[in-house]
Amino acid sequence: MVKGKKLLVLLAVVAIIALVAACSGGNKGTANEGKLAKISIFQSKVEIAEQLEALAQQYTKETGNEVEVWGSVGDAYITQLQAKLTANQGPSIFSIGYGSEAETFKSYYYDLSNEPYVKDIAPNMALEIDGKVVGVPYGVEGFGLVYNKNLVNPADVRDLDSFTALLKSFKDQGKNGFSLSQEAYFLIGHILNTPFALQPDPQDFIEQLNSGKVKMAETKEFQEFARFLEAIREYAVNPMEITYDKQMGDFATGKTAIVHQGNWSYGMLADFGDLDFEYGMMPFPLMGNDKIAVGQASNWVINGKAKPEEIEAARAFLNWLFTSETGKNAIVNEFKFVPAMTTIKAENLDPLSQAVYDATQSGDTIPWAMNFFPQGIIVNDLAPAAQEFFLNPGMTGEQFLKKLDEVWANAVK
Amino acid sequence: MKNIAWYALFTFPLLFIFTTVVIIPFVIGIAYSFIEWDGIPANPKVFVGFENYVALFSDQRFLASAGITVLFTLLSLIAVNVLGLLFSLMVTSGLKTSNSARTMLFMPNLIGGLILGYIWQFIFTDAFKMIGETTGWSGFFFNWLLDPQYALIALVVVFTWQMAGYTMVIYIAGIQGIPDDVLEAAWVDGANAWQRLTRIKFPLLMPSFTICLFLSLSGAFKIYDVNLSLTNGGPVNKTEMFAMNIFNEIFGYGHYGLGQAKAIVFFLIVALITLTQVILTKRREVQM
Repeated sequence: MVKGKKLLVLLAVVAIIALVAACSGGNKGTANEGKLAKISIFQSKVEIAEQLEALAQQYTKETGNEVEVWGSVGDAYITQLQAKLTANQGPSIFSIGYGSEAETFKSYYYDLSNEPYVKDIAPNMALEIDGKVVGVPYGVEGFGLVYNKNLVNPADVRDLDSFTALLKSFKDQGKNGFSLSQEAYFLIGHILNTPFALQPDPQDFIEQLNSGKVKMAETKEFQEFARFLEAIREYAVNPMEITYDKQMGDFATGKTAIVHQGNWSYGMLADFGDLDFEYGMMPFPLMGNDKIAVGQASNWVINGKAKPEEIEAARAFLNWLFTSETGKNAIVNEFKFVPAMTTIKAENLDPLSQAVYDATQSGDTIPWAMNFFPQGIIVNDLAPAAQEFFLNPGMTGEQFLKKLDEVWANAVK
Repeated sequence: MKNIAWYALFTFPLLFIFTTVVIIPFVIGIAYSFIEWDGIPANPKVFVGFENYVALFSDQRFLASAGITVLFTLLSLIAVNVLGLLFSLMVTSGLKTSNSARTMLFMPNLIGGLILGYIWQFIFTDAFKMIGETTGWSGFFFNWLLDPQYALIALVVVFTWQMAGYTMVIYIAGIQGIPDDVLEAAWVDGANAWQRLTRIKFPLLMPSFTICLFLSLSGAFKIYDVNLSLTNGGPVNKTEMFAMNIFNEIFGYGHYGLGQAKAIVFFLIVALITLTQVILTKRREVQM
């Protein structure tokens, strides 16, 4: 009996060791006959999550190769991406922004310069590091004030005074004139881009800001920006009480007249079906600005540190995405991107993307200076400062600017 | 000789896992706390000695986190243990609903901290706001998570809700281990309920106190999942606890060395406090 028991224990121990060994095996991208390895996609745009998964399934149906889409997480994307990449469990394809974000991860990009579709990327839009093309832009995006055409006439919103008057009149009617949302980019990230973009040389201004040579509190665009924020805090619903879903929901149901959003938000509006009003995008009228901010948000990049079979399968997927009919159709009609490739035609654009496209064609745009912010500063430092401003009615605009300067100096240390 | 072989076989898998998952990363962590690095393997690791340790003592946000964590731990320590004790006394007092009460009081502990946080986040933000607007008691029913003090209390509430059942179970085991004849003898000698409670039950429950205090102390100090899902450190980083501060330092700012130094300091503090507590309460345990 004792011997039998000991045998049982021995078997149990062996089983545990085998389990440990098997669990450490992980995902093996073994290539089957004719089929490419399984790849994974991890990207930052929550607005296209569902459409991307549907596209992945279509790809598998058309080519038989498997694609796994990992869930996107909004503000915490970079954190998760870094954790996965440094643990050598990175995705085969991921998305990365421009500027400092791209610089940080540059050791992970696979060189795409020789891919067939690279020559079709619109000029100066591809992500390049050290002269090599490493990323294909999602598309052209723009943001500004998305407004309800029934409630707002763009001619009425041209500067600070008219903007404030508009907010006040809506508050008197019991509606919300203007809505930001509590998430970092939608609270301060996008709207703060405008004062930067209006500088004669935004990149140079940011470098001077980093070295402490200039201060936001002493620059006139920012001073007027602070007065805009004071007006928003006073006459609009507190953005800390609004989430992204609520922001778009209230806009779609006519409770909010204007939201500070981009053409990507069309996807959420479309979910509400036929709205009984028309909407468009107008510029944020800081210092009389009359241009919307247009830039490229993210790029598709291939993980250069993945296994060779994965890289090959990833290249095949991207090639399919940019050259096949299904892929091109998905980019324009499912993801609702304004394409950055000359081979993809922009037709039947939704009203917001149309506004962005028209602005791009005519050149009436201001750049995305936020691409050159120090990495992570929007989520780590600017957002808490903005939260403090909106939760503390006693904080003046000037104090807010001083706080921004303070956290900026802290972040570049 | 044969026996030692069997001992080794029994303990080897566990020892192996413990070493690879706990000991080795800990030692590597100590090494990391002396460098400056941003986490990308291709970028260099720069040796900076004790600079990280010096820097963390002047980091305002870290010190604020430490203060908040201590406050939170004190509050939840009291709340969890008092409630756990109350529940256990209630459940062992022979009520008809004892069994179902015990099950229901323990159930919150089975729900993962993350989900708990999200559920309560909904309650504290949307549900409270709605109740406040419809009943007009908006002095109590407003969005708690937007106010720093109330957000902390919200965290205590959720943590207590999660842990009270766990400590209750431990106290129940302790109470049921008290021999009936001692209590009966006391009752015969004329001790009233309060005296029986404080003079007999509490001293004999000291081992349970040791365990429960230790668990709730270390659990409260190390809290992260509820912190993340309920408040995410907000508003304005005012409810950012120790663990979250370290996580944000490492993964948000990319200061791996500084974050690791903070983690080592954190470990020392928690180890010191919990060991002290265990030694103190163990001394007061009464052997039957």
